[in-house]
Amino acid sequence: MRRVFVTGVGVVSPVGFGRRDFWEALVAGRSGAAPIENFDASGLDRQVACEVKGFRPRDFLTAAEARRAGRCSAMAIAAARMAVEDAKLKTEHLAGPRTAVVLGTTMGEANVLGQLEAAWIHRGEQSVEPAALPRYGTTLLPIHLARALGATGMVQTMPAACAAGNYAIGYAADQIRAGRADVAVAGASEVIEKLQFAGFARLGAITPDVCRPFDQQRRGLMVGEGAGILILESEESVVRRGATVLAEIGGYGLACDAHHITRPHPEGEGSTTAMRMAIASSGLRPEDVDFVNAHGTGTSANDKIESLVLAEIFGARQPILTSNKSILGHCMGAASAIEAVSCVLSLQTGIVPPTIHYEHPDPECAVNLVANEARSAKIDVVVNNSAAFGGYDAVLTLAREGVLPPPRDPWAVQAEGATA
Amino acid sequence: MRLAITGYGVASPFGVGRASWEAALAKGEAARELAFRGRSEALEGELGEHARTAEVWGFDPNQYLGDKGHRAFDRLTKLLIAAAKPALADSGLKRDGAFVEGGPDASSIGICSATAYGSLDAITELNRVAELEDPRYINPQRFPNTVINAAAGYVSIWEDLRAPNVTVVDGNCSALDAVLAAATHLAHRRAKAFLVGGGEIVSEPLYLALRRLGVLADGRNDGFGVEMGEGACYFAMERVEDAKARGARVLAEVIGYGTAFEPPRSEALLVHASADAVARAVREALAEAKVDPGEVDVVASSAGGLVEVDGAEAAGLREVLGGVPQVPVKRLTGETFGVSGAFALAHVLAWFGGAPVAPSPANGVTPPAKVGTAVITSVGFYGNASAIVVRAA
Repeated sequence: MRRVFVTGVGVVSPVGFGRRDFWEALVAGRSGAAPIENFDASGLDRQVACEVKGFRPRDFLTAAEARRAGRCSAMAIAAARMAVEDAKLKTEHLAGPRTAVVLGTTMGEANVLGQLEAAWIHRGEQSVEPAALPRYGTTLLPIHLARALGATGMVQTMPAACAAGNYAIGYAADQIRAGRADVAVAGASEVIEKLQFAGFARLGAITPDVCRPFDQQRRGLMVGEGAGILILESEESVVRRGATVLAEIGGYGLACDAHHITRPHPEGEGSTTAMRMAIASSGLRPEDVDFVNAHGTGTSANDKIESLVLAEIFGARQPILTSNKSILGHCMGAASAIEAVSCVLSLQTGIVPPTIHYEHPDPECAVNLVANEARSAKIDVVVNNSAAFGGYDAVLTLAREGVLPPPRDPWAVQAEGATA
Repeated sequence: MRLAITGYGVASPFGVGRASWEAALAKGEAARELAFRGRSEALEGELGEHARTAEVWGFDPNQYLGDKGHRAFDRLTKLLIAAAKPALADSGLKRDGAFVEGGPDASSIGICSATAYGSLDAITELNRVAELEDPRYINPQRFPNTVINAAAGYVSIWEDLRAPNVTVVDGNCSALDAVLAAATHLAHRRAKAFLVGGGEIVSEPLYLALRRLGVLADGRNDGFGVEMGEGACYFAMERVEDAKARGARVLAEVIGYGTAFEPPRSEALLVHASADAVARAVREALAEAKVDPGEVDVVASSAGGLVEVDGAEAAGLREVLGGVPQVPVKRLTGETFGVSGAFALAHVLAWFGGAPVAPSPANGVTPPAKVGTAVITSVGFYGNASAIVVRAA
């Protein structure tokens, strides 16, 4: 079992591009919510979202790449290029079959599909441009990215809805541990598209004003978009090229609620299983966790159940907690990837960004929240929590370099009852 | 990699369940007539008149799911459940719908489910309402179906499978990549068993997209073009030692996996297939399996009627495996995209069980009378390829 390190991060978010702008906005608690500009929302019941504003693909992509890629892939490529630069990776480190690309998403190039279908529905089959058809395909996300970076190893899409980022990062780490790759470009990307925005609105999930996770008066989530990418490397790769380590990937845990397609399990069963697995497979105990980056969507059900899970795992000693979604919105498939970037930056700086709009403590959410103002703290170990439609639960553990014990034999973890 | 396959279930043009699959394949090449049997049921009006498709004919979900609780499900979800149920029974993981005492249970059985275009028809259904009526009228109960992993999520709810649920989307390579996902999570003890496979359906948007691209075989008899197929297929896969410990019958073992990507030579291209990627994926799978090219009896290939893609695959296979028979199994059951690797594996298992190797190999090499080791390849439309090595138990 090989160690896996994070050596670079890149992000395209509703509050800024690149780690510096992103982090500054997150720590300052500047919300990305604004009236929707990318599509006509005038006929919808909700008209505010956390869109990525001012993103110009040509600032990050070649002309040929920009022609091939939809917005979702373009944001992933942009974030990846920032991560590669952050990691000081050269082409020779990335090119070839030992680099894997693993990306999560919910709907991939949803707006490419939306445009194709709108043409077909309104103007008939002949109006659909054949050359545009192959530009839709969820599988394209890692393909575009691999082409951009010269990677020729595994290309993998993990569509795990709002837990997709953690799925992708965890799975990429697995491949490095197993020796199937030395470097992995892992994360997730998502765009806001009219249909899916309208769907969330029809489910009554979108807040009419602001997103206030864990607040007693929370009224729903704010839809967001963006891309978060981590560069993962084996220990050998880090040593070979003298890379700077930003964090170490611990374990990750996956489980399925098998309860309801959109609602969480009433006792948080799957989420508890996944979080236990993530902590135990890192060779840690719950008391070793300093900080939890919450799923924290701001919906009544999620925040209540997540609080239950945290109480079950951590008991009276609750680690500090924050929800980036109060600022970034819920970037769906990209959420836990962007939040993983935030986790890495917290480990690097010892700062936890605030959960904004928090005014009314909720007895049903008895959490140790970093409310409204960023906080400095000792952060050696962070747990990145996520959950999704389909009952998917995925939890990732990250730590400062030198904190984690050597990777554990899965048999030992199993013997403790934390896995199957 | 050593994964035991302890059972499987299919919902295919031949019917639902392993027995219907094996009975059809026992007929050899004649199975094709059962698969491509008539006017499309999935495509309405003018589209269905001309389409040459292999569909899960006369599929009645009530027969497999009962008559309650699945009104909001789309066709893919119903087919997945119809395949999952017999896979759990065939492997002995469930008996009469209940987990078998002493074996893996709800907490330790997961799903690795593949699809390429899974939820496309659900998205189209809601887009029609949004575009032609009002986005505020879209049915909130149908909305979750637009999320690609929802179908596998519904399977977990229906069968109460609470271990990791993973959806894999890698175009044509999805199902073979789902095998690696299962192997990975089993190695990390995140589950004791997985349903591995997936589903794909014949849908109007996908059919129209292929027609607009001019790649359908409809109306042609020159062997060119895609014949759309559909269905769902799940295998129960476990660690070999766990399967043996619970006394399960092992049908076969997956012993190697490989994958590779090669970009096209021209920046202007997006769609392409790579012989180099195929060769690399197969080499990697053979190396992991510790199997020499000369030990491979047959390849269940990915050839589906597109000249460039099929040619790249054949060249890659020839480079690594020389004159091993390349059997284009899609000729019998149609192009099922994301789940095609799982259907190819179901073909291989039937051959291991004594069914004749059919259809005729594309490279004209006669297959051996008995097949014990097979390679399965999947070739994507964007330069990716994956392969697995399977050995009879």
